Amino acid sequence: MKLYIYGIIDSSNQITESTYGLEGSNIYNIPFCNIGAVVSQISQPIQDVTEGAVLKHEAVVEKLMADFTVLPVRFQTLIEGRDNLLSMMRSYYRDFKNNLERLRDKFEFGIKVIWPADKIKENIIKTLNKEQQKKLELGSSPSNKFMKDKFDKYKIDKEFEAKADKFIKVMDIFFSKFAAEKRIEKLKTENLLLDAVYLVEKDKESNFREAVEHIKTARYDFKYLFSGPWPAYNFVILSKKSGLLTDSQQTSLLNKVTQDQMLVGVDSI
Amino acid sequence: MMANTIVETESPEEFIEEIEKAQNCLPKKIDANPETVEKGLAKLVLTLIELIRKLLEKQAMRRVEAGSLSDEQIENVGETLMKLENKMKELKEIFGLKDKELNLNLGPLGDLM
Repeated sequence: MKLYIYGIIDSSNQITESTYGLEGSNIYNIPFCNIGAVVSQISQPIQDVTEGAVLKHEAVVEKLMADFTVLPVRFQTLIEGRDNLLSMMRSYYRDFKNNLERLRDKFEFGIKVIWPADKIKENIIKTLNKEQQKKLELGSSPSNKFMKDKFDKYKIDKEFEAKADKFIKVMDIFFSKFAAEKRIEKLKTENLLLDAVYLVEKDKESNFREAVEHIKTARYDFKYLFSGPWPAYNFVILSKKSGLLTDSQQTSLLNKVTQDQMLVGVDSI
Repeated sequence: MMANTIVETESPEEFIEEIEKAQNCLPKKIDANPETVEKGLAKLVLTLIELIRKLLEKQAMRRVEAGSLSDEQIENVGETLMKLENKMKELKEIFGLKDKELNLNLGPLGDLM
């Protein structure tokens, strides 16, 4: 019997409300001590990532969020039988408990910012051209020309990064005021200035949203994508790896689920 | 999604494009099946060489910026880096690899380059 896992919850009680998961099977809680793994039975591993399946997984996790603290489990996570599941729960119990306590009453919010990279670079080049003293004076040999071109590019890139750091720092000051934790990625592409997730306590959600609205008005030439509240996909920290869960079993537990989020996000726009 | 979960943006297409760009350039694994093992290994080796080359180049630029290299040293470094870059271009052509393919996703550590 294959069990498809949706999340780990801070309760060992059965789920009273009927909820259907993948393949239309009922979801239920398999308790271990005072926590539980919410699963449904599934006939075969999910090979293809379809929008419908991702949304179904996400819907179950978010339904659980209404009543419990949830450690969301990565889409496509399967385990073979109840005994293996309980073994995994035993192995991870301390980690799960710590995470459940840390994430209680907190949600994840995503913020992405696109900036006009071409314009920013153009301005940097203009400024550097004005500052002739910073230019490298070398002879005209091919290797000198090579070094000069590389140095000019290095200066532009360095300034570009410095500007990115500056903007991100300002935005982060506003967001961090209302966030318990954060994960920030800078310049994943030249245009994608910021790709961040913030963990926000339930009662600070409106403050956080206000901070986002405030930042949006600061630069009209930047583009923003705000999403949430999400289950805390990016904030589950496991201190140990279990040998029970291998790739061949199609089990990869509690990793980042950006793809799920992206698909869900895209569908909702 | 939860009833109150939202995704707000005025530029959905641009965000989709950037997210796809960020994901597509990063193979999660080296492709090393029997048919493509040579290319897969070349990709891994060239990725590491490219990383070292970029580090050398960056270090050289820092030293140029700090003014700690003489004109003669700059010329020598320039010649070395230029030859290394040309050799890399040749190798990439031989194995049919593009610049953007020379990267690795190191999971939680992020991207190699």
